[in-house]
Amino acid sequence: MTKRSKFLKAWSLVLLIGMLSLAGCGSNNANNPEPTTKPTDSPQTTDNANEGAVKLTGDFEIQYFVGGYGDAWWKQVISEFQQLHPELKIKESAGAKINEQMKPRWIQGSPPDFVYIDGAGSNTRQMVTDDQLMDITDWLKEAENADGKKILDLLIAQPEEYQSGKFHAVPLVFGSWGTFYDKALFKEKGWEAPTDFESFLALGDKIKAEDEMSVYIHTGVYPYYINGALLDPAIVAMNNYDTSIIKRINSLEEGVWKSEPVVKALNQIVEMSEKGFIDKGSPALNHTDSQSQWLQHKAAFIPTGIWVESEMANDIPDGFEFGFLPSIGQDNGGKFVANPYISTVAIAKKAKNPEAAKAFLQYIYTEKNGKAWAELSKAPSNIKADLEGTNAPALTKEAAKYYNSPNTVVSPEVVIPEELVTARNNATVALTKGEITPEQWGDRLEEATAKIRAKEQK
Amino acid sequence: MNKGIRNPGFRLFFKLSLMVWAVCVLYPLIWTIFGALKDNQQFFLGKPWNLPKLPLLWSNFSYVWEKYNFGDYFVNSLVVTLVSTILGVLLSATTAYAIARYTFRGNGLLYYSYLSYMMIPTFLGIVPLFFLLNDFHLTNKLFGLILVYMITAVPFAVFVLVGFFKSLPKELEEAAAIDGASHYATFFRIMLPLAKPGLISVAIITVLNIWNEYVFALVLVNDPTKYTMPVAIAVLQGEMQYRTEWGPLFAALFISMGPILLFYIIFQRQITEGITAGALKG
Amino acid sequence: MKERTAAATVMTKQKVSTRIGTAKTKRNLFIASFILPTLLLYLVFTVYPMFKGIYLSLFDWSGGSETYNFIGLANFKEMLDDGIILKAIRNDYILVVGKVIGFMMMSMFFAVALTRFHIKGSGFYRIVYFIPNVLSIVVVGVLWRYVYNPNLGFLNSLISLFTEKPFEFAWLGDKWSIFALLPPSIWAGIGFTIILLVAGILSIPSSLFEAADIDGASQWNQFWLITLPLTWEQMKTSVLWIVMTTLNGSFVIVTIMTFEGGVDNATQVMGSYLYMNAFKFGKFSYGSAIGVLILVLSLITTATLQRLMKRDTIELT
Repeated sequence: MTKRSKFLKAWSLVLLIGMLSLAGCGSNNANNPEPTTKPTDSPQTTDNANEGAVKLTGDFEIQYFVGGYGDAWWKQVISEFQQLHPELKIKESAGAKINEQMKPRWIQGSPPDFVYIDGAGSNTRQMVTDDQLMDITDWLKEAENADGKKILDLLIAQPEEYQSGKFHAVPLVFGSWGTFYDKALFKEKGWEAPTDFESFLALGDKIKAEDEMSVYIHTGVYPYYINGALLDPAIVAMNNYDTSIIKRINSLEEGVWKSEPVVKALNQIVEMSEKGFIDKGSPALNHTDSQSQWLQHKAAFIPTGIWVESEMANDIPDGFEFGFLPSIGQDNGGKFVANPYISTVAIAKKAKNPEAAKAFLQYIYTEKNGKAWAELSKAPSNIKADLEGTNAPALTKEAAKYYNSPNTVVSPEVVIPEELVTARNNATVALTKGEITPEQWGDRLEEATAKIRAKEQK
Repeated sequence: MNKGIRNPGFRLFFKLSLMVWAVCVLYPLIWTIFGALKDNQQFFLGKPWNLPKLPLLWSNFSYVWEKYNFGDYFVNSLVVTLVSTILGVLLSATTAYAIARYTFRGNGLLYYSYLSYMMIPTFLGIVPLFFLLNDFHLTNKLFGLILVYMITAVPFAVFVLVGFFKSLPKELEEAAAIDGASHYATFFRIMLPLAKPGLISVAIITVLNIWNEYVFALVLVNDPTKYTMPVAIAVLQGEMQYRTEWGPLFAALFISMGPILLFYIIFQRQITEGITAGALKG
Repeated sequence: MKERTAAATVMTKQKVSTRIGTAKTKRNLFIASFILPTLLLYLVFTVYPMFKGIYLSLFDWSGGSETYNFIGLANFKEMLDDGIILKAIRNDYILVVGKVIGFMMMSMFFAVALTRFHIKGSGFYRIVYFIPNVLSIVVVGVLWRYVYNPNLGFLNSLISLFTEKPFEFAWLGDKWSIFALLPPSIWAGIGFTIILLVAGILSIPSSLFEAADIDGASQWNQFWLITLPLTWEQMKTSVLWIVMTTLNGSFVIVTIMTFEGGVDNATQVMGSYLYMNAFKFGKFSYGSAIGVLILVLSLITTATLQRLMKRDTIELT
C-alpha cells in the first residue's frame, strides 16, 4: 500500500497550505491589506449560468447531522440551492440524533438522497461496507463545482478509498482531535502546558496535589473522544511516529491491538488512571456535560475536538482562553502527533434523485461556501479557500500552528467498522476505570476484529 | 367492627412512611415545573432544589413548543392515541362480545390466543414488524403506528370485556330476540350501551398505554415530523448533548406529563378499578 | 279441522326449520363479522411477526440484502461465545429479582399502611401513589438521569451537603450501574402493585382480623397468618407482571438512562442488545435470535414462578 503513504504525504502537504492560509487570516490582516481578489473569485455570474443549465425537479432529501458545528451553514447553502432550483422540493432531515433516527431507513433501502456523515453513530466505512453509498469514482474525477473548478483540486484532504480505487464519499470538514486546556488558568497558576507525557504527568501530580480540580475529565458516554484525542495519537507516537500502524489497524490486521506501540499507549492511560488523574464522574458524562465541567474549571484537561469552542459558545466563562495540544503521549523530546477528524458527504446508492444530489454536491464545494463554513461553523472546512478576512476562531488558528509545524506528525484517522468502534469504546472506558488490563483490552479487540474479519471474508 | 391496628408508635411510623413516599412521588413533579422555569446558569451554579429565580422563564415552554416542534408532537400523540384507542376498543368489543355471548367452535382457543399475548414478550416481533410495515409502506406514517397500537390494545381489552359481557343477564338477548331485533341491533342498541362502564375503563387504560408507548414509536417512525411525545423527549434529551438547555428539556417533560396527569386525576377511579378488575381476574 | 291443523303444523314446522336455517347462517355470519377482522389484524401484526422472528433467528440476514442464508442454530452458538449476552442476561435478572423484592416489600408495606390503620387521607395517598405509573418510562428516565447527574444532580448535591468535598460519583457510569436503575423502576411501577394489594386486603373479611384480635394474636401474626396468605393471589399476579414487564420492557429505561447499555455494557439488557444488534449493526437475524432468547427465558421464568408460588387457594366460607 505505497499508494496510501504517498497519498498521506500529499495530504499533509496540502493540509499545511490550507492551514497556513487559515492561520494567516487573523494575525496579519490588520497590517497587511492584501489585494488577493483573484479573477476567479467572482462566482455569481458563472454560478447562475452553470446551474440554470440543468433544471432539477422532484423531491430531494438531505440528511445532515447537527452537532458542534451547528446548522447555520446548512440552512444557508440549502436555501440558496433552493432559490436556484425553485421546482425542487427539498426536505431536510437534520438534528443531533439524526444518525440513529435515519438508520432504519438506510437499512430498509429508502435512504435520503444526500448525506453529511458526522457525529456519534456515523461511520462512512461501515456505510460503504453495507453498500449504502453510491460509487462516485468516475463522476468525481471529472466533477466541477458550480464555479467550473474541479472539485478534487479544491480538497485539502482527498477522499478516502474505503474500497481500493473507489470513491464513495467526499470530505467536507477538516476537524482535529486534541487535548485542551485553559491558557488563562495556566498562566494564573503558573503552569506550563505539557510537551510530552513526562511533563504531563509532572503537571498532573502538581494539580492533583493542589486538590482544586481533577486533572483530566473526559466524555465517558462516548469513549471515541478519548480514543481519538488521546489513544490514537499516542499509538503513533509509540510507533516512532510511523503512521503506518494506523493503516494496519484499519486493515484489521491480526495482532495489531496487542502490538507493542498499542500496549505502550494503553499503559499511559493506565498510569493516568492509577494516579487518580481521571475525573470520577467522567464515565457518566456526555461531551457537553464534560465540556461544561471543564469550562467551569472542574478539570484542567479534556480530550475533545476543535469544534468545542463553537459548540460551547454560550457557556464559555469570561476570560477563558482555549489552549490546544495535538497529543500528550509522546516521549520527551518527541514530536506532536495530530489526529484529524474528517467528516464527509455522500450520495445514497438508492438515492431517488441522484441528479439533484450531484448538483448539490457541486454547489457546496465552492471557495465561497468553504469560507462560509469557516465563518458560520467556526471551524476549517476541507475546501481550499482563501480565508482572508474571515473570523476564524482563536482555537482554529492555534490548531493550525501545530499542523503547520515540522515538529508535528499528521496521522491518518482510525477508520474501523462500527461494531469494532463499539467494542473499542467499551474496552477503553473500562481501562480508564481500571476494570481491565491492557492485555484484556487487546484480547477483546482481537476477538472482535477476528469476528469481523471472518465475516468480511465470507 | 375492626378498627385496624391501633398501637400509636406503629401508627406514627406507618403514617410518616406514607407521607415520605407521597413526597417522593410528588416532589419530582413539582421540581419538573421549577426546572422548566430556570435558565442554564441556575442549573450550573445553583443547587437542584433551589426555587427558580424571578422572573420565571415561562418562555421555555413556548420555546420547546415552537423551536423543537413540541406543538406538532403533541398533536401527533393526540391523534395517534385517540384514533387507535377508538378503533382498538371497537375491535375488542366486537370480539369480546362474540366470545362472551355465543358458543362456537374455537371459542376458547380464540380467547386464550388473545390472553397468551399478554404473557409473551413482544420484543421478538419488533424486527419483522418493522419490515412488514415497510413492505406495506406504512413505516414513517402515523397510520402505521395507529394500526399497530390498536391491535396491541386488543388482548387486554378483550380480556376485560369478555368478563364484562359475561356478567350481563341472559334475559336481555332473549327479550331482544322476541322483539325481532337482529344480532347487530342487539349488540349496538342493548349490549354496547350496557357495557359502557367496561368500555370506558378499557379505553382509559388504552389511552394511558398508547400515550406513553415508546418502543414501537421509536422503531416504526423515523421521520422527525411524525414523532410522538415519548420519542420526541428521548430525542430532545439526545439533542441536549449538543445544546445544553435544561430549562426547555424540563418544559418538554412537563408538556408530556401535564395532559396525562390531568386525565388521570379526572378518571382515577375508573383507572384503578379497571386495572384491579383486569389483574384480579387473571 | 284435524287435517287443517295437521297441515298447519307441517307448514309451520317447515317455516320454522327454514327460519332456523337462515337464522343459523345469520348467526354465523354475525359471529364471523365480529371475530374475523380483529383476528386477521391480530394474526398479521402480532402473531406473524413473532413467528417470523423465530424463523429469522435461523438465518444470516442483514436487513437490506436480498439473500437469506440458512445457518441453523449458528446464531445461538454465537451467543454462547458472546460475553455481552451473558452480561445482558445477568442484568435482566438483577432487575427482575431486585424489582420483585423491592416491589413486593414496599407495596405490601404501603398496602397494609393504607388499609389496616384507617389513616386519614388514605384515599389521597392511593391516588398519589399511582401517579408515576401514568407517566411514560421515557419521562421517568429523563427525570432520574438528572437525579443521578454526577455534578449537577440531585443525589450527589444532597450527599455533598454532608461531605467535605463535592461528592461526584457517576451513578450511571459504574460497573454496577444496573443497580442504579432499580430505584427509578420501583418508583415508576410500584403504584400498580399497591393498588392490587390494597384491593386484596380490602377483600379480606374484617371478621377474620376481629377474631384474631380476640384470640390475642399479635399484629405480626395477623399479617403472617391472615394478610399474607389471603393476598397470595394478588402477590402472584404482581410477581408475574413484574417479570413480564421487566424482561420485555427493560430496554426503555436502559436506553433512556444509559444510552447503549452504559459503560462497557454495564447496564446492557437483552432488549437493548437486541435493538443495538438489529438497528445499529444491521444484524437482524442475530437480533431475532436474542428475541427468541427473551421469549424462552421469560416462558421458563414465568412457568417456574407459577409452580413455586402455587398454593392451595384458601376458600373463604
